[in-house]
Amino acid sequence: MIRRSLIWGTLAAATMLTPAFAQDSTVRIVLNEEVDLLEPCMSTRSNIGRVTLQNINETLAFLDLRQGGGLQPKLAESWEQLEDGSWRFHLRQGVTFSDGTGFDARDVKHSFDRAMDPSITCEVPRYFGGMTIEAEVVDDHTIDFKADPQQPILPLLLTLISIVPEETPVEFVREPIGTGPYTLTEWTPGQRIVLSQRDDYWGETPAVTGATYLFRADPAVRAAMVATGEADISPSIAALDATNPATDFSYLDSETVYGRLDHSVAPFDDLRVRKALNLAIDREAFIGTLVPEGALLASAVYPPPTLGWNEAVEVWPYDPEEAARLLEEARADGVAVDTPITLIGRTANFPNNVEILEAVQQMLQEAGFTVQLQFYEVAEFEDLYSKPYPEGRGPMVVVAMHDNSRGDPSFSMYFKYASDGRQSGISDPKVDDLINRAQAATGDEREALWKELHAYLHDDVVADLLLFHMVGFSRVNERLDWTPTMATNSQLPLADIAFK
Amino acid sequence: MMSFIRKRAFASLISLILLVVAVFFLSRLTGDPAALYLPSEASEEMRRQFREIHGLNDPILVQFGRYVWDLLHLDFGDSVRRARPAFEVVSEAFLWTLQLAVITMTLVTAAAIVVGSLAAFRVGGFFDRIASLTSLIGASAPDFWVAIVAIVVFSVGLGWLPTSGTGSVWHWILPIGVLFIRPFGLIVQVVRGSMINALSSAYVKTARAKGVRTRPIIFVHALRNAMLPVITVIGDQAAALLNGAVVIETIFGFPGVGKLMIDSILQRDFNVVLAAIMITAIAIFIMNLLIDLAYALLDPRIRY
Repeated sequence: MIRRSLIWGTLAAATMLTPAFAQDSTVRIVLNEEVDLLEPCMSTRSNIGRVTLQNINETLAFLDLRQGGGLQPKLAESWEQLEDGSWRFHLRQGVTFSDGTGFDARDVKHSFDRAMDPSITCEVPRYFGGMTIEAEVVDDHTIDFKADPQQPILPLLLTLISIVPEETPVEFVREPIGTGPYTLTEWTPGQRIVLSQRDDYWGETPAVTGATYLFRADPAVRAAMVATGEADISPSIAALDATNPATDFSYLDSETVYGRLDHSVAPFDDLRVRKALNLAIDREAFIGTLVPEGALLASAVYPPPTLGWNEAVEVWPYDPEEAARLLEEARADGVAVDTPITLIGRTANFPNNVEILEAVQQMLQEAGFTVQLQFYEVAEFEDLYSKPYPEGRGPMVVVAMHDNSRGDPSFSMYFKYASDGRQSGISDPKVDDLINRAQAATGDEREALWKELHAYLHDDVVADLLLFHMVGFSRVNERLDWTPTMATNSQLPLADIAFK
Repeated sequence: MMSFIRKRAFASLISLILLVVAVFFLSRLTGDPAALYLPSEASEEMRRQFREIHGLNDPILVQFGRYVWDLLHLDFGDSVRRARPAFEVVSEAFLWTLQLAVITMTLVTAAAIVVGSLAAFRVGGFFDRIASLTSLIGASAPDFWVAIVAIVVFSVGLGWLPTSGTGSVWHWILPIGVLFIRPFGLIVQVVRGSMINALSSAYVKTARAKGVRTRPIIFVHALRNAMLPVITVIGDQAAALLNGAVVIETIFGFPGVGKLMIDSILQRDFNVVLAAIMITAIAIFIMNLLIDLAYALLDPRIRY
């Protein structure tokens, strides 16, 4: 009798411990990697940002990739550029942090200074290289940012700074305080993070009242969890598992795969050879086979919604005869077209990496190139990808994946194409000039300059071997009204989620 | 007995020191954490500052000296990645692994002894053939495959159990079930072999001749004598589980020490790697000691 009641008691207790498969207004989100830090100044790290950005901590402005609305106000109501080139932000009033303290300009200054402080190694300073920025409090609700050299995209750069209270110490915190609609209520390392809605949030109350974040490294398990109702959203699942059209969505994930050419090494110093290289690749043939359906053929190193995207630029067609003709022409002029070219990949860089590069190798060989394929681990790959490039190198096509979800080409262009850009394979005075002018320009002028550069690099310089804008896949429970966007790689605002 | 324990503890301490020295210097060979934590466009000044903050700027012998000094004060240092004390991170994870290992090994031992003994009683009989076949399959099935199939069948298909994670009793069933299979297969084979030897010995024949029933013959007379090689294998398997079941932890999202160790090596989080290795090494030392003591308990001829 006692034994029986013990058994039934245990079973009953176990049932109670099982998390209810909630049909409520909370959501469960399963991420691909444990969130081991919840520091607001590290929110540029993908999974930290997915938990904190716009949920716990907010920013002065945010980039609206969902509705394509561009830069939108958040904690700043408006901003303008002053005559001396610095930027003035007018802050929202009546905003409080989750610890009850009020939000004002001193919090903004502290958040910026703290993120830039060299005594804690935040990730944010990487985006502010080559400039010095000074934050200056004008009054409680106004703050100026003075940049040297001037930064026309400073408001965009400030979307990277999470605002924390002035009292936050300059060391990594484990209990982030912010102005966002949610607060951290539970954090069991390695297992779950729970956010709950605040009562005193300044903005509109989101439909989601709370969120639990879980971590599973295996993509098949993440997909299974949404299928069984144990989770509501898995922002990233494998293309292979994305089989259910009712729950699985593909989205342009802001990554671009391209082959970097080094124009200082023969035969890539010859325009005809670079054109032949591009004409030899049947890019269409990859889509839906080795590269998932939904991926786009690339004509720039950043994806379409970026400012200054030039619709008029057309992707290189597949024309092996023309490629062979151009190569013959170059050979007749004494260009060393038979020099063996090394196609360089990074191990496990993206799905089907090896197969894609093998197909590229084959296509190039069919067009008349001699191509070897080599793969390297991250650190060795980095030595070939970034300057200083190795001495005595032969012609290399370094196939890399570049991420730019920030909405402006300046996050890519200098590094990839300026004469002294760390990963640049070209040295072209017109490109340098266009980059400098575009980076200093604003509004329509900036857009026009980026457009010009996009076309010039692709059509005239034929700078590199652009391949694909990649896609990611998410699985979403059918009870939710939410689809992934390009921003899903870096943030997942719960306020965007609605219930059907 | 006490002098035996003291001797073993001293020998283990020496191995532990050698292990810490080796891991400390070898882990530094995996590369500079600054290269991993800072972007490729980071300036030399940023890299210098990063190393300064994490004490990586000094000569390696100075770093080692400081590490040993802190260790003597029971300070395992901080995790670079997590910005928390390394000992805290590792002990949380180790506790999960310990529970998983203890529960699994208890179940495996009990089940394997019963099945192995019964199989040995009638060699070549129906039960023996079934037991041998299943244990062979169990010992050779790859656990990542078993785990995924188990999730597909029991969670997605039948909806009986949660796919992964922790939180209730039900969450433990799949990971333990999958972890159970391989050591069970191995130990059944060893128990069977060892029992066949024991059952053919003179004292069992005597017992049979005296009319002792089957059950006491197997579980009282033969089993105790057959257990010595079995305990050795149990020890090996338990040690493997204490090191963490990386595949199972990864698939089931179990926050154990195995995955933590692999992640920390990849993240160049040296303090966590060292703390994890020390704690698991100490646990394995304690377990080996218990196994040695169990020998003496089972076999009166063994004296320490």
